[in-house]
Amino acid sequence: MELNGLSIDQAPPISAPLRFYLTAPIFAIIAGFLILFSDAATLMSRYSLDSIVITHALTIGFLGFIMLGSLTQMLPVLAGVRIPRVDLVTKISYIFLVIGTAFMLFGLLNDVALSNTVALVLLSTGFTMIITVIAMAIVKVQNFNPTVKAMSVSLLFASLTVLMGLFLLYTYIDIDFAPYRNMVANVHSVWGVFGFAGILIIGVTFQVLPMFYVAPRFKQFCKKRVVLLISLGLLIWLYTNVYEEAYAIIGKAWIALFFWAFATTMWRKLSARRRPISDVTVWYWRVASISLTLGSFLWIFDEYFKNEYIVMVAILLGGGFILSIMIGMLYKIIPFLVWFHLNAMGYMTIPTMNEMIDKKLARAQFVLFIASLIGFIFAFYIPVLLTISAISFIISMVILQYNVVAPVLIYRKVKKTKPDFDMSAFTIN
Amino acid sequence: MSTIKEYLTADHSRCDEFFAMMEDKANTSLADAKEAYEEFAQATERHFQMEERVMFAEFETKTGMTEGPTAMMRHEHVQMRSLVKQMGEALEANNKDKFFGLSETLMILMQQHNMKEEQMLYTMAQQHLSAESPRIVDMMESMIVE
Repeated sequence: MELNGLSIDQAPPISAPLRFYLTAPIFAIIAGFLILFSDAATLMSRYSLDSIVITHALTIGFLGFIMLGSLTQMLPVLAGVRIPRVDLVTKISYIFLVIGTAFMLFGLLNDVALSNTVALVLLSTGFTMIITVIAMAIVKVQNFNPTVKAMSVSLLFASLTVLMGLFLLYTYIDIDFAPYRNMVANVHSVWGVFGFAGILIIGVTFQVLPMFYVAPRFKQFCKKRVVLLISLGLLIWLYTNVYEEAYAIIGKAWIALFFWAFATTMWRKLSARRRPISDVTVWYWRVASISLTLGSFLWIFDEYFKNEYIVMVAILLGGGFILSIMIGMLYKIIPFLVWFHLNAMGYMTIPTMNEMIDKKLARAQFVLFIASLIGFIFAFYIPVLLTISAISFIISMVILQYNVVAPVLIYRKVKKTKPDFDMSAFTIN
Repeated sequence: MSTIKEYLTADHSRCDEFFAMMEDKANTSLADAKEAYEEFAQATERHFQMEERVMFAEFETKTGMTEGPTAMMRHEHVQMRSLVKQMGEALEANNKDKFFGLSETLMILMQQHNMKEEQMLYTMAQQHLSAESPRIVDMMESMIVE
């Protein structure tokens, strides 16, 4: 049995997840500016280049980075396996992914084939490296708990989503393949949202809600079957979408209903939590639950309106559900990692988790973020809302950047000034 | 008779309950939470000692691994003891922010610690000590906290 996860020396160094976490808001800020300089009419089409570029600044740069960072951090703790060469691999793949994403955004926006080609090489190498080492760690797992199972399934969908994404990027370099674009893009986005992000979030929620909020544990049925049922739904949807389009609604309804059930369960577990505290992270979970419910139903409903509402679905699911959960988790994970690593070095009198992020700033960030989401949705009907929402979004992401950097500055400061090195705590009285 | 894994896992849940009760009381008034804090602190200390003085000791003797997983778990016990102690001081000082800051940190540390134990260490202990399991559970049950 692998025991390395039990040791702080073998756990990933704090820099491995942090470099992904701290970069994520920068891409969100870039996305905010792109929205600001675009217009509502262009963004109403999911296939407009502006929409594609903005979506990917967020999905790769923000969501992808946070999910990859979290996988490197959580696998050792949850499954007791070590990710091979974690520091080196995350460092290199991080550089490739950052530069690759930047080249892709630039290349697509300005139609520069060379830039897209560079992006293709960097993104494929970066993703392959990090997905491979995570997969290598997963195959060594002996005790598969529901979270680790969900992580594995999610990683599979992530690989397929990336493969399709690379193909799609290639269609902008060699336009002979462009006719396949919309069909692949559809599968790419649905599998990315529900298969990669959705399943990963479900798996992590099983652990995180009881762990952070002392919420009741999820039922065995939920833990054992939901991921399988959703995966099946995604396959049914793929089949019907490609071969029996008239029945595509069945696959959609299947996926949406399970996610809705999950959203409801999440809400109920939160309401039944034993911890009385209601901080900004709890609000984020609530928003995620509501957005997931609305987004799932709108996605089904959208089928009857020639995909007119698909961008609204994307805002609800991508922004309201996935982004909300990621931001909420950053507020917990970063202070904990800072505290944990400092404490493990022997520093005892360090700020507690709650003292590392200014609560007022976290609340301001939340309010601005939610206001921008609501604004984006209504910009559908009232285009002038787009500008003010984009500004609200940018400010909220700048505050987020500050909020996640603040604990890391504390970490640096403590390491530098060495306020105490209290070994007395290590003697057991 | 439950196995080592079942016994200690159930005890984790018991400590979680005490933790939740303590936070619940503290949320209303710190002054009313002292009793609940004592209960939690005692339950936790008892759990630590059952592991350190009985189960870990048996495991280390049987496997010869003294620098392995048990050393790491002992280290995390030290971290948690320190937090529990500081929480008591925050209670005395009637500092609610400090108290909840510490309890938040302890909660996450405790949960990821429990997870490692339940997923790995207890499973290993059960494999290595299955023959002695009833005796070890019995010893833990009758142990007097020092």
